[in-house]
Amino acid sequence: MVLKIFFPQCCNRADSGLLVGRWIDGHDSAVVLAVIHYPFIPGQVKQYIQEMQAQSQVELSVLGSWSLPKEGQEGMESFLKDLSTIFPQGRWLQVSREIDKMGFICQVLHRDQNGKTVQKEVKKKKDEQRGSDDDKEEEKEEEEEEEDKVIFVHYEQRKVMLSQLHPIENGVRDPKADPPSELQQVFQTVARSDPLFSQDKYDDGPLKSTHWQSEGREGSIIVELLKQASTPLCLLVGWLLAIWTWICGIRILHLYPMRFLSSKLSTCTQLSYRTQHMTTLSSPSAAVGHTHFMRKANILVSFVVDVALGLLLISWLYRENRITLVANTLVPVADHVAKELEELLQWLMGAPAGLKMNRALDQVLGRFFLYHIHLWISYIHLMSPFIETILWYGGLSACLGLTFALSLLSDMVALLTFHIYCFYVYGARLYCLKIYGLSSLWRLFRGKKWNVLRQRVDSCSYDLDQLFIGTLLFTILLFLLPTTALYYLVFTLLRLVVVVFQGVLHLSVDFLNSFPLFAMGLRICRSYRLAEGVKFRVLCEEPGTALHLLMEINPLTCSSVVQNYRTPTYSCYPKDSWAALTKKLFIGELVYPWRHKTTKVD
Amino acid sequence: MGPDGAPGPAVPWRKVLWERQPFPDNYVDRRFLEELRRNEGIRQYRYWAVVREAGLVGQQLSCVAIFITLWLYMEQGLLSPESLLWTSLLCALLGYGLFEALRPQVDSGCEPRTRLADLQSAAIFLSFTFGFSPVLKTLTESVSTDTVYAMSAVMLLAHLVSFPYAQPSPPGSLSLNAALFASVCLGSRLPGALHTFAMLSCALLVFALWPCLLHRIRENAPGQFGGVCVGACIGGVGGLGSQWLGGAVLLALALGSVTLLCPLLLVRLQRHKDNIQGPWDEAEIREDLGHFLH
Repeated sequence: MVLKIFFPQCCNRADSGLLVGRWIDGHDSAVVLAVIHYPFIPGQVKQYIQEMQAQSQVELSVLGSWSLPKEGQEGMESFLKDLSTIFPQGRWLQVSREIDKMGFICQVLHRDQNGKTVQKEVKKKKDEQRGSDDDKEEEKEEEEEEEDKVIFVHYEQRKVMLSQLHPIENGVRDPKADPPSELQQVFQTVARSDPLFSQDKYDDGPLKSTHWQSEGREGSIIVELLKQASTPLCLLVGWLLAIWTWICGIRILHLYPMRFLSSKLSTCTQLSYRTQHMTTLSSPSAAVGHTHFMRKANILVSFVVDVALGLLLISWLYRENRITLVANTLVPVADHVAKELEELLQWLMGAPAGLKMNRALDQVLGRFFLYHIHLWISYIHLMSPFIETILWYGGLSACLGLTFALSLLSDMVALLTFHIYCFYVYGARLYCLKIYGLSSLWRLFRGKKWNVLRQRVDSCSYDLDQLFIGTLLFTILLFLLPTTALYYLVFTLLRLVVVVFQGVLHLSVDFLNSFPLFAMGLRICRSYRLAEGVKFRVLCEEPGTALHLLMEINPLTCSSVVQNYRTPTYSCYPKDSWAALTKKLFIGELVYPWRHKTTKVD
Repeated sequence: MGPDGAPGPAVPWRKVLWERQPFPDNYVDRRFLEELRRNEGIRQYRYWAVVREAGLVGQQLSCVAIFITLWLYMEQGLLSPESLLWTSLLCALLGYGLFEALRPQVDSGCEPRTRLADLQSAAIFLSFTFGFSPVLKTLTESVSTDTVYAMSAVMLLAHLVSFPYAQPSPPGSLSLNAALFASVCLGSRLPGALHTFAMLSCALLVFALWPCLLHRIRENAPGQFGGVCVGACIGGVGGLGSQWLGGAVLLALALGSVTLLCPLLLVRLQRHKDNIQGPWDEAEIREDLGHFLH
């Protein structure tokens, strides 16, 4: 039987006393949390332990005794042995250490059913000096009893207390799941024993104990100030949010056109998303559980970084009046784009790339699109006096965060390239109609038709007039296909360029929203707080003493940090796989490659 | 008696394998291959009857030739579209009259088409064709001439191959569509929209309405059927000959081989037929739903 004792490093040089901790059921191990020094009154110790147990919900008990004899403290051995009678336990550990030696010596006293303590010695070699017959029973007994081996695992108490072992269990345990592992129980025990560590050596209590905070409690002025300031701040933010949600809930804003617009504009989506975040942050109650705390911290840090970047952008834009520069170049740029489009259409109306188009259809389509461009340009020229003001005020909205500025940019690009979107829709619809017509008429050509009920192609006897008209239409559609296909191709390519640009903007907004900055910072600066596991190092292996190992925390890898702590967003992801996208493009269905996950509205 | 000549035992042999018999497993008696039937479904062809039936194929070939002739005339400007239109109209009316005259006295059981329905169909055809002919005219402008000729040839071949020679009256979809496609391709090469309209009407007449009339003639006036076929063949050869002599020769050869040579081959080769049938054939399910009605 191997007994593992988790021993805090701060108690390596503590004065003699009682070991207080917890036995971990199911495994042969114990966690030592503190050492209570002499002098003490056993009744007070028992009362103290019961108080601590009630406060921390951890099953504390006295594990055994610790002795580090200093000068003038001989004769403790018998005293220590008598202590085991005062604190009745199943097992009693007697750990002792000599000043000039590294290793500890541990004796485990078992209590058998009669109440007698039976001692088992921990030595590497068995005592073989019994020969008499009446000792054969004892020999047998000894041979039946196994040797106890003790391993001391040293751990840094402060780090283990602050650390969180992954994967995290949240809430109620599933009774069918495996019981928590030994390591998880150790970490949980230390983390929950906070009340035990609240007494330091300057307190005037009946008991003196040694633990990681016994030199003085840890605290920081900034943290305390922030804690004090956070409650009124939360209340203020909550009140502002209530006003904002009331404004958003006004019925006039819920009419159909406004609703449709606000679902399409990414700025509105970003606004509602940030409102949600602020609601999470502004709840005055403290965070419950590690995940909740990390989520809040991540949101806060992302928001602060976002606003900082936005302010940086504003200072760059408004210095030297760059914003008026941008506004002044916007209209000429739009004009230039329109001119390029016109040239493209003229090229298509001729003989593009040597392809022979159907002249009449070419002219019709080309003229139609040219007229549209003309309309668009007039609209832009109408708007040009207001553009500078709009941009000036719009740029100010970047103080709400860089993500806002990017969403605003994406929306403006969408508005400015609206005519390309219109052309794409026209071209795609025409092409789609043609493809459907062709496929249906091809079936008529062969004398078959589509059976909608059975979802298959069946033969069919058509009338003479159906056949006649069907063939005429088939011929017409077939010969007009190259022209329509070319227009469709050109406009789809243009639309895809715009979509890709918008997609890049959305992806960067998404990244800024969801990247867990706080968790990443924690991983880099205080890596022991996010633990994936532990590793052991051998400290001392002297013969005659127990094995000593040092437990070091293995931090979580950066990729698991990102995966675990990503803030869920209305993420923007490609809706179709490549194959489905190509098929849709080929048939002529309208393509919206980026789809937002819809946020649930309460 | 087995094949090895030894006298068999007294127990007669039965053609079963699930019973132990004193004979070996591969034993056969003299009733071997009793149920073999040779050339069961063979028909006795008579030469002239086959020639008569093959006349339909030749006739269809000549129809295509006539159509191409008309197109050649139109393309060279020797035939004006108005005259073609009026002739087509006249022929249509004559054909319609003949069709009605040859209607069988006994009602076939299903309701015949009313005059109104026929008029409606004719109106739809004409209006559609007239309305679409400017569009149809410009369809193959950008396609090269060789491609157009090749497509038309392939389509006319498809028409000939898939024509329902057994029962031409409801026209087969693929054959009619292929012929119309070819006519649109050829018609779009003509100089004007009216030419295209005339061409299409002519195609409709030749490929859609003429087989119906032919079917009626074959059913009800079999004596005249042969004469009609011969007339069509002569018309085809003659018409093609006026434009393209080589083509006429080729057509005559083709007609001769299809109508005279192939039936000869069919009849002569019948005697080399050697089919065997027996109880080992796959069962054929004859769907005879008649016995459900009794």
